[in-house]
Amino acid sequence: MHALVQGVILGVLTAGVYALMASGQTLIFGIMRVVNMAQGAMVILGAYLSYQLFTSWGVDPFLALPITTLALFVLGVGVQWLFLRPLHAGDRSQLSVLVTFAVALLVEGFMSVTWTTTDRGINTSYANASWTVFGYQITLVRLWAFLLSLFALALLYLVLNRTRFGRAVRASVQNPESARLLGVESEWVSAIGYGLGTATAAAAGSVYGMLYSFNPNSHYDLISRLLSIVLLGGLGSIGGAVIGALVISVSSSVVAAAVSPIWSQMTFFIVLLLVLVIRPRGLFGASMRGAI
Amino acid sequence: MSTDNRLWRIGLIAAAVALAAGCASGNSQAGGAPSGPLVIGASVSLTGDFSDSGKAVKNGYELWANTVNAHGGILGRQVKLNIVDDASSPTQVVTNYQNLINKDHVDLTFGPFSTLLTIPASQVAKRYGYAFLAPAGGGPAVFQQNLHNFFFVQPAPTVQSGDVFVNYLLSLPPDQRPQTAAYAELDDPFAAPLAEDIRQKLEAAGVRTVYKQVYPSETMDLSPVMGAIVALHPDLIVGGTQNEDAYSQVKDLVQLKYNPKFMFQSNGANSPLEFPDKVGTTNTEGIFAPADWYPGSKASGSADFTAAYIKAYGGSAQTVDDSSAEAYAVGQLIEAVAAKAGKIDNNTIISTLHSGTWPTILGNLSWGANGAPTGQFNLVQWQSSKLLPVYPSAIAQAKPEAPKPNWGG
Repeated sequence: MHALVQGVILGVLTAGVYALMASGQTLIFGIMRVVNMAQGAMVILGAYLSYQLFTSWGVDPFLALPITTLALFVLGVGVQWLFLRPLHAGDRSQLSVLVTFAVALLVEGFMSVTWTTTDRGINTSYANASWTVFGYQITLVRLWAFLLSLFALALLYLVLNRTRFGRAVRASVQNPESARLLGVESEWVSAIGYGLGTATAAAAGSVYGMLYSFNPNSHYDLISRLLSIVLLGGLGSIGGAVIGALVISVSSSVVAAAVSPIWSQMTFFIVLLLVLVIRPRGLFGASMRGAI
Repeated sequence: MSTDNRLWRIGLIAAAVALAAGCASGNSQAGGAPSGPLVIGASVSLTGDFSDSGKAVKNGYELWANTVNAHGGILGRQVKLNIVDDASSPTQVVTNYQNLINKDHVDLTFGPFSTLLTIPASQVAKRYGYAFLAPAGGGPAVFQQNLHNFFFVQPAPTVQSGDVFVNYLLSLPPDQRPQTAAYAELDDPFAAPLAEDIRQKLEAAGVRTVYKQVYPSETMDLSPVMGAIVALHPDLIVGGTQNEDAYSQVKDLVQLKYNPKFMFQSNGANSPLEFPDKVGTTNTEGIFAPADWYPGSKASGSADFTAAYIKAYGGSAQTVDDSSAEAYAVGQLIEAVAAKAGKIDNNTIISTLHSGTWPTILGNLSWGANGAPTGQFNLVQWQSSKLLPVYPSAIAQAKPEAPKPNWGG
């Protein structure tokens, strides 16, 4: 029973990290209909940037967030402008899979050359710290990650719902033609949207680097999980990404603790399959454009 | 039978004869009168998944070649290495050895990195009658090939590298041995069989297994697995690990505030540089791992090797990569065969190495008919931020520390 409860606690806390990564993924799909295969690579790039700032200048990964998120925001805008903007709107979703996968490979190559293929990790003084609450361990970094995730998602929600940019995004998503007629620069909206999605990857990467070892290939393990979370929650839904992350993380964690780690890997695919059979749009996916 | 068919058959036979002649001539170069440099070919993973270890193997080969050349070469012949990259691919490694043997006509071949590449590579060497000395790749499947030309240049088959830990535990008085054990094993041809070997031997000795699970290599988060182990309070935790998962196991145990009396990891913990960097120096204390070469080893040529390595690649004895030491030992064996037999060719190497015991920087090596080494690994333990050999007592530089001190202590 103890292992099971500890598994649930770990699952909930880990879900925060996944939610952060997946929110960017779903945002990008919601705004641009781009299936972003590069999000995992951007997370690992975020982890490397944090690692570099920490090892070279002793900058704490949480304090480095303004730098890393800004860097990846700029990179995201650049990627959208250079590689995604030229894609024809009609088949953007299909082509974007290939283009963003190519971007992921480019980023992977860059990381291999810059930091080699050796495993890295960010070892802050508090990286292994935890609090004991009623006999259960609450890992400090996971807790911070969870809170950071809530903060970032709330910020994202406010940007999308309380700002002119957010209104422009939603207008572009719901009716791109009308939005354009009303003066919304949809290409800039897309570029900034992609940049924001990539910036969340930087935040998630900092936390990821403190929790796990990583190397340039680590993004392959991440991307299948991120896509599962986004599909489970419903493409384009930020709330769905959070719920998807919780469902997948907690179910994997509980099954690994109580049954077997082999089945843990299968669990989220089984959950995903069941949800998609019953509700093909995912838990919170909209039947039409405008899910955000 | 039509004339066309007959011609076709004759053509095939002629081609086969030509090929056989080509092979024979390629091999006979090594057996002929010694002239010119001794050319040794090797395929090494300089890119791809095994590139870190592959580069270390290359360093070891080159260090040996430079050392032996500085002392006049082998039987008066300078050693020339022909090292090519296989990109960690089992297909490319076959092409590489075929080219090295048939096109470049190298005199001898040295092995690549990993079991995955050693199996197909050793088959190519066997086909052309080349001796095949491999510094890495000692999984069970390698020895199941029963190749007479194959020699695994480590003290024991990889799966048995945990035996030394079992022997150490069983050497303790019964009241000091662990009573319960948990096994967390990576699904990998090296890691899981090694942990299983330990489990079977400890169970036979009365150590009760309270947990045993295999996790897939894609598992990023081991905290639920370690959480389940912690709930059972085992005296001993055996990690059938490689690298990343080894670091995760330790970090998770620290975060879960559980300190077992004994902890052993098959790989990861034996890395003098990476392990403390990933888990934090203060969390290494008391963890056991297997090793063949270790800093301060008194084995034959080890001091010279260490000095040469530091001179060539920098760092200290603590930062020497095991894979470089294993590759260097491959060269040492060639030197030893030449010194004993007075000649160097593939047949001489195969027949000579199959008898007797051979001193190397990894200790004294000897092999069974299938190339499986018949010795035992050493047991090393982290003590005061250093990886020290602690068992068997003949090589120990410190007493084993048990029970394990607390994390961060």
